[in-house]
Amino acid sequence: MKIRSDVLRIYQLIHSWTGIFAGIILFIGFFAGSLTMFKDQIAQWATPPHHVLAPVKFTQLDSLISQATSSHDKARSGFSLYLNDTTRSPMMWYEKGTARGLALDKQRQHASLNAQGQLITHRAEQGVLAELIDQLHRSAGIAGAIGYRIAGEYVLGTAAIVYFLAIVSGIIFLLPSLTKNFFAIRKDKSEKRFWLDTHNLVGITSLPFHLVISLTVVVFTFNSQIYASLGTAVYGDQPLFPRSNTVAHVYPFTELPPVAKFQAIVDEQAPGYIIKELRFVGLDTAWPFAQLGIYNPTALMRGPTTDYIFMHPFTLEVSNNSASTADDAIWNRIVASFYALHFGSFGGDIGRWSYFILGLGGAFLFYSGNLLWLEKRRVKQQSAENVKQTRACRLMAAATVGMCLGSIAGVAITMVVAKWLYPLVDNINHAYLYSYYGVFFSFVFYSFYKGAAKAAITLLKVCMFSCFAITATSLVAMLLPQLGLYVVINFTSIGVDIVALLAGFAFMYFYKITKHRALYGPKDSVWALPKPLSTI
Amino acid sequence: MRIKKSNRIAPDWWTKTIAATLLGYLLALGLVGLFAWFGPGGIDAKSKVQFNVWLTPLIWLLIVSFSFLFKSGLRAFLWLSASNCVVYGALYLFK
Repeated sequence: MKIRSDVLRIYQLIHSWTGIFAGIILFIGFFAGSLTMFKDQIAQWATPPHHVLAPVKFTQLDSLISQATSSHDKARSGFSLYLNDTTRSPMMWYEKGTARGLALDKQRQHASLNAQGQLITHRAEQGVLAELIDQLHRSAGIAGAIGYRIAGEYVLGTAAIVYFLAIVSGIIFLLPSLTKNFFAIRKDKSEKRFWLDTHNLVGITSLPFHLVISLTVVVFTFNSQIYASLGTAVYGDQPLFPRSNTVAHVYPFTELPPVAKFQAIVDEQAPGYIIKELRFVGLDTAWPFAQLGIYNPTALMRGPTTDYIFMHPFTLEVSNNSASTADDAIWNRIVASFYALHFGSFGGDIGRWSYFILGLGGAFLFYSGNLLWLEKRRVKQQSAENVKQTRACRLMAAATVGMCLGSIAGVAITMVVAKWLYPLVDNINHAYLYSYYGVFFSFVFYSFYKGAAKAAITLLKVCMFSCFAITATSLVAMLLPQLGLYVVINFTSIGVDIVALLAGFAFMYFYKITKHRALYGPKDSVWALPKPLSTI
Repeated sequence: MRIKKSNRIAPDWWTKTIAATLLGYLLALGLVGLFAWFGPGGIDAKSKVQFNVWLTPLIWLLIVSFSFLFKSGLRAFLWLSASNCVVYGALYLFK
């Protein structure tokens, strides 16, 4: 396909500068986003197994509710039931904090029934490791608040706008050579050619995924601004949402219908779904609601893991059902599918694994994009030893290495810390934050201080060891129970350990080739080291 | 392919970016407005507003992406303003 040279030039420039602006931020978002595909599994890996109480039979749930609420005041204002789920206690409520937002000192009461049908409860801090990884995904670790949002969410939202431009411009300036070079990965020509070919191949094959992610992030971030402007420019006096005809009224707790009634509504209005969570909020207020998390592996689900039904807990009037197949729910369904396409909440485990891989592919795309930017600006002088690269190149290389690897090692080391410190400190949640930011900023500092070439080698090694340490910790905990480390032995949690082990091997490989390139690769590169150092 | 100098696209980064970001967003709102009022279901179809919230940034981002094809920043301003006049004219005339 032929495209005018001036058009190509313009879009090439847009592609490089948008990439440089947003690349590193998006790298962190994508890498952490991949991990959030297995948020529940990571949460389970990090939750001491003795926290989770045994499930109860469906028919016992009403007895559990009445026993728990008669002895615990807090439970009467709201609680969650977990059905069809052995990884959580069957009933939980907050003694300190609420379900909304992230706080480090939340405490939940876990409740279940013993073999005699009598109430058992215990209180535990809610571990927020998985929640923090999710927050890292949404904010790239940029703290601070704007309104009710984390400042970093606006940074990522803006990066997503720029990212859309990067995608479109990338396609435009790739079009002329696309049919010729699509599957060609030319390793023999030059390092740069190899990176460029892989960058293009990954970019084009995962194009729909990237378009979806970019658009959804813009909507997630700026939805209230878009609603407001649509209201002003388009809707005018027309209400955006139908007014609810529910009357404010405080119902006595005893009027709460049995769980079977909620099950019946799901069976009727969302056939094929099972209830995972039944959450009651504000039961002692005039505006109570029930939120049902319902699961169907064959559906495109609106939430990260489930579809939702919102209803009045006492009158059972359904206000919203994201799984509805009724005729007037068509817009609802289309919108739910956009959410599902961001969360990867369709296709069960295969869907999750695909999204995990696509997310890592995205992270690779941004990393390789930065490397290509550097290659393009490389000062080439094959004869001279140790050519000095431009200042911009040195800084960009250091930032790329320090921040990208720093975020990975930050998460890995925090997971290790989570297990080792658990028996020693009262509230592990504070340790998570210190550990992540401590590692991240040390990496960035080291990278700028030592330069990208040396830092890349050392830091890849640290990444490798931290991933291996995750697996090793679980192994030690299993073999030496007297240490007091907890270990969760089941398929899910071993999965986390196996992925960490594989990641460790991947970093080992990256470490080897990076070191080789630094020592024996072209000397006129930002990745070259002056002389073979025995210390590395 | 040689392009005559008078025909070549001027980059005009700032003017095009500003025109596309602001006028482009206004245009996206107007187009979504036409869809909201005259598209399937009309203005009060249940939950259609949520879909419109998704449609707005999609149209906006496409406008921004392709606005760099205008021959100059001035042309971007003129074309986008004119389109806005037409779209909002239709929207307020017929709704």
